[in-house]
Amino acid sequence: METQTALDRRVQDCIRARGFSRLSEIQEKAIPLVREGRNLLLVAPTGTGKTESAMIPVFDAMMSKTGGGFCTLYITPLRSLNRDMLQRLEWWCRELGLRVGVRHGDTTQTERRKQALHPPDLLITTPETLQALFMGKVLRKHLANVRYVVIDEIHELAGSKRGAQLAVALERLREYSGEFQRIGLSATVGNPEEVGRFLCGARDFSIVCVPVTKHLEISVDFAGDSFEKQAAWVSRAVGRHESTLVFVNTRVTAEALGHKLYHRGDVEVHHGSLSKDVRIEAEERFRSGSVRALISTSSMELGIDIGRIEHVVQFGSPREVARLVQRVGRAGHQMDAVSRGTVLATGFDDLLESLVIARRAKAGQVEDVNIPLNAADVLANQVAALAVEYRELSRQRIRDIVGRSYPFAVAGNLVDEVCTQMAEHGLIRIEGDMVRSGGRSRRYLSSNLSMIHDERKVVVFDMVARKTVGTLDESFVVGFVHTGAVFITKGQLWRVLDIEEGRIIVEPAKKAKGELPSWEGEQIPVPFSVAREVGSLRRSRDFSPYHPGERPLEFASRFLVEMDRNRTKVPHDTLITLENAPEGVVCNVCAGHKANEALARVLSILLSARYGTTVGIEIDAYRIYLRLPSSVKAADVREILCSLDPAHLEGILQLAMKRTALFKWKMVQVAKKFGAIDPDADYERISTHRLVEIFDGTVVQKEAYRELFSVYMDVPAAARIVSLVRDGAIDVVVSPLSILGAEGLFASRDQISPPAADQAVIGTLKRRLEQQEIILACMHCRNWKSRTTVSRVPEPLRCPFCGAGLVAVLKPWEEPLIAIAKKKGKNDEERAVAQRLLRNANIVLSGGKKAVTALAARGVGPENASRILSTLAEGDGFYREIIRAERNYIRTRRFW
Amino acid sequence: MRLDFLETGPALLVEENLRVLVAGDLHLGIESDLSRHGLHIRSRSRQRKERLLSCIESSSPDLLVLLGDVKHNVPLTSRQEFQELPGILDALRSRVPITLVPGNHDPGIEKFFHEGEILSKTGALIDGVGYIHGHTYPDPSLQGHLIIAGHHHPMISIRDEVGCALRAPGYLLAGVDDVCLQFPASSERETGETRVLFIPALNELAGYDIIRTAKEPFSPLSRCMKTEQSEVFLADGTFIGPLGSLEDHGDADGA
Repeated sequence: METQTALDRRVQDCIRARGFSRLSEIQEKAIPLVREGRNLLLVAPTGTGKTESAMIPVFDAMMSKTGGGFCTLYITPLRSLNRDMLQRLEWWCRELGLRVGVRHGDTTQTERRKQALHPPDLLITTPETLQALFMGKVLRKHLANVRYVVIDEIHELAGSKRGAQLAVALERLREYSGEFQRIGLSATVGNPEEVGRFLCGARDFSIVCVPVTKHLEISVDFAGDSFEKQAAWVSRAVGRHESTLVFVNTRVTAEALGHKLYHRGDVEVHHGSLSKDVRIEAEERFRSGSVRALISTSSMELGIDIGRIEHVVQFGSPREVARLVQRVGRAGHQMDAVSRGTVLATGFDDLLESLVIARRAKAGQVEDVNIPLNAADVLANQVAALAVEYRELSRQRIRDIVGRSYPFAVAGNLVDEVCTQMAEHGLIRIEGDMVRSGGRSRRYLSSNLSMIHDERKVVVFDMVARKTVGTLDESFVVGFVHTGAVFITKGQLWRVLDIEEGRIIVEPAKKAKGELPSWEGEQIPVPFSVAREVGSLRRSRDFSPYHPGERPLEFASRFLVEMDRNRTKVPHDTLITLENAPEGVVCNVCAGHKANEALARVLSILLSARYGTTVGIEIDAYRIYLRLPSSVKAADVREILCSLDPAHLEGILQLAMKRTALFKWKMVQVAKKFGAIDPDADYERISTHRLVEIFDGTVVQKEAYRELFSVYMDVPAAARIVSLVRDGAIDVVVSPLSILGAEGLFASRDQISPPAADQAVIGTLKRRLEQQEIILACMHCRNWKSRTTVSRVPEPLRCPFCGAGLVAVLKPWEEPLIAIAKKKGKNDEERAVAQRLLRNANIVLSGGKKAVTALAARGVGPENASRILSTLAEGDGFYREIIRAERNYIRTRRFW
Repeated sequence: MRLDFLETGPALLVEENLRVLVAGDLHLGIESDLSRHGLHIRSRSRQRKERLLSCIESSSPDLLVLLGDVKHNVPLTSRQEFQELPGILDALRSRVPITLVPGNHDPGIEKFFHEGEILSKTGALIDGVGYIHGHTYPDPSLQGHLIIAGHHHPMISIRDEVGCALRAPGYLLAGVDDVCLQFPASSERETGETRVLFIPALNELAGYDIIRTAKEPFSPLSRCMKTEQSEVFLADGTFIGPLGSLEDHGDADGA
């Protein structure tokens, strides 16, 4: 109460008018700290009045200041949040006589001009628009007035490159405004201290934490594994409550579920692919109560106000604890009220995972936000921004500014590395210690204000039917599609005929072996910690700490009993099972998506090196599926897995990733952010293949690796599994294919090609030699000759007439030599021919099939063949010797 | 005659009475054109020059034949070309006599070459071997000879069972049809078969799928070649097989 009465009268009036009889717990705690001028991180679930906790003291302070505008910046990650925030804050500002404005990508030119002339006291904006503010001279002047910066949903930003960019922007802002007060609003995270550092750098700050978890009531249910039953369950659940928010993990599920429940007439779908109008309409219909359920993807996770939500349904495992907490936190939406949510699990993995996540949510074991440190492309972007902002400045000053931000606090000589690379591709100029903006800097900056990669869509045009088939993501096209490539879209195979500007010309293809990569970017990875606990639950089979309902428990027990009855081992946290499947080996490893991704790629490159074959990989949180030729078995995989050294993983992965489409795509993205490639670049001028080589060994490549190894995979976690295997803490056994190993939908993924490019050359050579036509001639009885191909030569080779093994192998054009050898009364030249044939046959007699193969090669006669055989080279080495001989022949042959 | 495949160029040493080093399609100045199309990379002309110099070093030729497209930008000559070409050409000249068969990217190249260094764009016969850039019909004097041509930037893609590819520059040798090439039907000359050897571009950023050239020929030589008698080599001289062996095995297997 004391806190409240200390505020400006007009602010107190507003609080009363807003219908708050008293301040909430978080407000009581936060307001005095903000009034004291402390930097503050507020960690609380959505809907507990976080915004007001931050803004009431800020409004209070703004009442006593007469600024020239831009006193407070309120930064949110989403435009849609700005819209919502504007509505909420507009009321306060109107009552308090403050001017408020919103500025983001959709803001009109008129509005922007107005803001430049009469800056509002409170500006609501996005990180990207903040970047744009630095570009205008007038706006920059206004930035000197900033006293408060509030960052809403900071946990969303902190974990991304957008956040790293924002952190630097705050330090650039400080150059104009001097120190300002920083307030971050965050959902529950595992590492609030570090998020605070992200907000403030090395400055002091306080954290006010409202534990979300005690207000959560989460249960897990199971309704069978058919979608029909699951949809019916959702329909019943919707019927039981006034208002329900149904979260699904993918847009496809949202659409499918929406279709099933459409007949009810009181359910709407809400996801990112729908147009803005459709989404706003759905939000409004829900708020007004005319629909009782909204089916939504992550688009509804953030604090968009859609009124009271009584119950949250999570369709399928939420994959992460943070996500479940955030989603269920949407229910209740009144301070102190309990949030109720139910997870509907859809299968065995899904059920165990849901139980684990629900338990961890209630215990407050939320995941950490992974803050990207030293992202070189973000640094490049900000160096360019600084160069444009100041025209010229010293590298020391750049180091000082970016070094104050947490993401670049320990950057070593990254600034220099980045500057050198940028000067190399002409984005900035370096003279001594000074960095100057270059001719392209400003244009680069206006098209690169955002660290979000905007994906172009490329149209796929079917040449045969002469119609558009659909669109592909640019990333897919850049990394994988080349002339002659075969890929799948709309469930059909296509072959690329031509790539034009923004368009791929294709024809239907008959067949392609192996899986083809596609990027379904909606897969939410299951963290290591969750997957490990699922593993331990599989081992203990003790469900009591998880309080499952009757149906889930019965289903899980039945599944485990069936595994036992089939005499298939249940893989768990200390047991990895390797199962031989029809087209490869399933490795059951409870390590989560990212660790499995790393592990799969390591296994695949090693298998591919050892067996000289391409290995396809598919992964999920609990298994790795290696697509292998039938000759490579689970025992072979076991041998490689058990001999891995955890210290070598990263090195192996660097090699492994270099040839993948994913890496190439990442490189292009990073190069774009570095300003080496324009957003609208015409890739067809140069193959990506070449492009990737250009950046070999540069800081661009380093950043692409950094991001791959921290965002797309978890190398340290994979190394932990490997060392547990090494120490014997995890057993690795070969086991028959189980229902668990075969479970799960495998998304098609990348392939790893064999290590040396010459593998492909050798493959071609083998095929050519096997199909090579040859003539066999017996040199013993001299009565038999036969025209055949190398592949059809029997082993051992004998003359069918006399049974001798003395058979010469000739090329078709050497056939006349046989007659010469049979002649009686030869001249010197003819005698030499006969001798050569005899020598040829002798080599075949002693060398067998290998000799036949060698003699079938281009320009390889008895001399060369015996030299090749004498090297005793086997397998690939043998073929390499043949290649060498052919090369030599071609170089020197007469008929050039 | 002997041919040495110099992988580092890639370049070719033709040895008969003379030692002739052949390099094609340098496309110096390509970076300024790429930059206009949104790809900003530093000029790599120096590395190209060094690769060429090391070929000269290792093969000690009597003559260097530049097989056209020494420069890249048409119709105008870019600042990059003005800055780089004189130095690079002088460096070559100081080691070996040079000569140019001009290509389609070479309008305006005269100012960089000395008198007598530039041959006809329809090709020239040197030491019994024809040299031509390859965008025009060849001079009748090349009939019955091996014709070495640039312009096509041959790239070879090899697939294995799973479909992933090796892509590398390479050579294509094929017989060509004299009538199709509009050679006069002369009876008295002692003609061997006219054959063409397409050489890879020295410029590492250039490359064009060889299969596509065969399927959709874009020059007199590629239109007139007899693909059924073709031979494909990698840049180091590795014999791959006929053009037909490069087709997509993933498809061919089961079809």
